[in-house]
Amino acid sequence: MALLELEEVRAGYGATSVLHGVSLSVPEGQIVSLLGANGAGKTTTLRSITGGVHWTGDIRFAGRSLRRMHTEDVVRCGIAHVPEGRGILTELTVDENLKLGSYLRRDGAAVRKDYDRVFEYFPVLRERRGLSASTLSGGEQQMLALARAFLMKPRLMLLDEPSLGLAPLIVRAIFEIIRTINTEDRVAVLLVEQNARLALEMSSDAYVLEVGRVAVSGTSSELKGNDAVRRSYLGY
Amino acid sequence: MQELLQQIVSGIATGGIFASLALALVLIYNAMGLVNFAQGEMAMLATFAAFTLINRGVSYWIAFPLTLVIAFAGGILIQRIVIRPVERAPILTLVIVTLGLATLLNGLAGFFFGYLPRSFPSPFSAQTANILGAFVSYQDLGVIAVTAVVLVAIYLLLQHTTVGLTMRAAAHHPEPSRLLGVHVSWMLALGWGLASAVGAVSGIMVAPILLLEPNMMQTVIIYAFAAAVLGGIESPLGAVVGGVIVGVTVNLAGAYLPFVGGDLQLAVALAIIVAVLVLKPNGLFGRPNVRRV
Repeated sequence: MALLELEEVRAGYGATSVLHGVSLSVPEGQIVSLLGANGAGKTTTLRSITGGVHWTGDIRFAGRSLRRMHTEDVVRCGIAHVPEGRGILTELTVDENLKLGSYLRRDGAAVRKDYDRVFEYFPVLRERRGLSASTLSGGEQQMLALARAFLMKPRLMLLDEPSLGLAPLIVRAIFEIIRTINTEDRVAVLLVEQNARLALEMSSDAYVLEVGRVAVSGTSSELKGNDAVRRSYLGY
Repeated sequence: MQELLQQIVSGIATGGIFASLALALVLIYNAMGLVNFAQGEMAMLATFAAFTLINRGVSYWIAFPLTLVIAFAGGILIQRIVIRPVERAPILTLVIVTLGLATLLNGLAGFFFGYLPRSFPSPFSAQTANILGAFVSYQDLGVIAVTAVVLVAIYLLLQHTTVGLTMRAAAHHPEPSRLLGVHVSWMLALGWGLASAVGAVSGIMVAPILLLEPNMMQTVIIYAFAAAVLGGIESPLGAVVGGVIVGVTVNLAGAYLPFVGGDLQLAVALAIIVAVLVLKPNGLFGRPNVRRV
């Protein structure tokens, strides 16, 4: 059974509907990419999962329906959502941001180990611990968002465009760490990405959204070979 | 020199009272971008609760913390019942709601306790201590000590506990905080409870000086506004520093400027508000609205 399952999910903002019946699944411990043009509904799909937008249909996480659950409670089930814009709390320090990732955990010794790993992945965060998060650069903020999500010890991470606005070298470093977290901790990832090539390299399965529906889906290597996908999203 | 010192100490004591109420205003301003015009009346009602307890024979130092607990619960109740239904309404709606709340609480106090000013006990002796040749009243020293303890406690709670951290997170960034598992709505309620309790301290401390009646806090809240604005409206530390500055300034102006005397002290506070808004709109500790994108 898949860790996360969406079944005919419809969602929207007020009178505007964005998703017209999206079904997808993320198996335990796998990376799944969600591709598509701007406005196809990728962000809305992620927001539906964590209850940021009203939806119908069904969303199940680890066999349990998330229907009518508040965002706070969905997250407490083990889903870490790094939203569009990264969700950094700029009024707080870097350290306080990290603490908000781990504050619900009761396994103190493991938390300390995870902090060590976070600072090993992102040494710059250790240097900036005491500074206001608003002073971080875009790349550093993305690192902080990812580090904080990792400290939540989730079973599933929802990542919304982790590469957005970042220099290629930083993007590579960040994706390397996403892969490490995925393999070492068996954290499943649902990855929304504009950079389709990068996303398909990382993931085992992929879905392509077009105007609120799944247009194509399959294993990532299948999609890499799919002519329509290649022309529209890979650009060659 | 001696008199100046006395005036300053007494100004700090009044400033501590302003600071408590100003801090209450800042706590709620931070949580919802709203100036709570009912803060003074909430404090007044809490003081009536303390008055009732003490009149029933509860000793002062038991009635005091008990009142803070009552005020805390009352603040949470007000947030849940009155504020929450209009939480997402435009700010003007919220302002009108707090004004309505102020009128309601004032009326309730009048209905149950009447408008006759009542004397409220002070736990501190009216005698004076000789410090460096100046005669400082135990009353002033006591007020300074109590407000200092309360303000430090609030600081420690907000800056050094997990609850404080989640409260600040929820206040400044509600949506991202939800994604971290913070129950934002309850954190806001907690903020109202905390503000209500801090405000109650100012009511209890000022009541022996002003006499307790339903309109007691209506001038105090103006001084508290001045303190909060001077400190930069969103800075808790600013509220405290602002409170002390306003307290000392008003006291010195009353003592040394013959045309101010006792009658125009409130005008000094209003002058401070206007001066800050004209010269330094972000106050002493407020940050300008510039952000890195």
